[in-house]
Amino acid sequence: HIAEDTSDLLQHVKFQSSNFENILTWDSGLDSAPDIVYSVEYKKYGEREWLAKEGCQRITRKSCNLTMETGNFMEFYYARVTALSAGGRSATKMTDRFSSLQHTTIKPPDVTCIPKVRSIQMIVHPTSTPIRAGDGHRLSLEDVFSDLFYRLELQVNHTYQMHLGGKQRDYEFTGLTPDTEFLGTIMIFVPTWSKESAPYVCRVKTLPDRMWT
Amino acid sequence: GQEFQFGPCRVEGVVLQELWEAFRAMKDIVQAKDNITSVRLLRKEVLQNVSDTESCYLIRALLKFYLNTVFKNSLDKAADSRIRKSFSTLANNFFVIASKLQPSQEKEMFSTSESARRRFLLFQRAFQQLDIQAAQTKAFGEVDILLTWMEKFYQ
Repeated sequence: HIAEDTSDLLQHVKFQSSNFENILTWDSGLDSAPDIVYSVEYKKYGEREWLAKEGCQRITRKSCNLTMETGNFMEFYYARVTALSAGGRSATKMTDRFSSLQHTTIKPPDVTCIPKVRSIQMIVHPTSTPIRAGDGHRLSLEDVFSDLFYRLELQVNHTYQMHLGGKQRDYEFTGLTPDTEFLGTIMIFVPTWSKESAPYVCRVKTLPDRMWT
Repeated sequence: GQEFQFGPCRVEGVVLQELWEAFRAMKDIVQAKDNITSVRLLRKEVLQNVSDTESCYLIRALLKFYLNTVFKNSLDKAADSRIRKSFSTLANNFFVIASKLQPSQEKEMFSTSESARRRFLLFQRAFQQLDIQAAQTKAFGEVDILLTWMEKFYQ
């Protein structure tokens, strides 16, 4: 009995995780696959039973949000998708072992850049995650990653940048020229997990110095 | 610099991030070979709620097991040179840590060491219930679970 090749039904079943928002995605090998439906199951690594993900049974879209089901960042999970075509052909594919702690990427921080006459203040806002602590409050990235820190850079001109950094959230670049435009970039780093966010960029102009006008 | 503090046992000179980088280089390959998704060797009962004093006994037993049983003859199976380099980094660092751990042998520590031994035996029995090849592959693929736990003692 020659096993039928059904790889065209289903490919690339994987988790995409960003700030602990864990989305399962997959592809169909066919250019258009109107008559294929997909069903998702998941489980913790080490457990026997696969659990059906409610809301992702016999769906036609190619993604499923498993954030709540994979919410323990100290745990390891698997998910699998079964594709079923109208003609009765089916294929099932499983993800690699998933750990959101290891796999999640970090989005750019949320920052408020406040121009003054001779300085620019930058306030980094905490990034909350979908992960809840025992008492129900949402953990921030700083709660999850103890070695998280911020790196800030202010482009003064083509050859000169100023740098600040640390774990605190309030920074100020001082000694700047009034009424001048600057480009600020702020990134998040998590050394232990070799994670680095894309930059948040703000373009701000210092205020004119009214003292001399 | 940073060091491991497993209760009274301190280990300097090991950079945890290097261990992570070494394991990440081979993680997908190793874990993809483990298709027994319903068995986990380093289960919660082995690693959860380990006291500081217990941790030194437990980590020493686990690292020695990895060196003597899991990593043994794995190096020659690692055909890919990138994997071989990562594998050596991991094994060498495990050896350094294990050799620096000197848990107390005093009588009053007997109950603590016994508790650590029971935890280790849970892991070892689960390992022995699998075919040796599958067990080595699974244990190798669970190094990230071990490193995640070790990180709590890295300051």
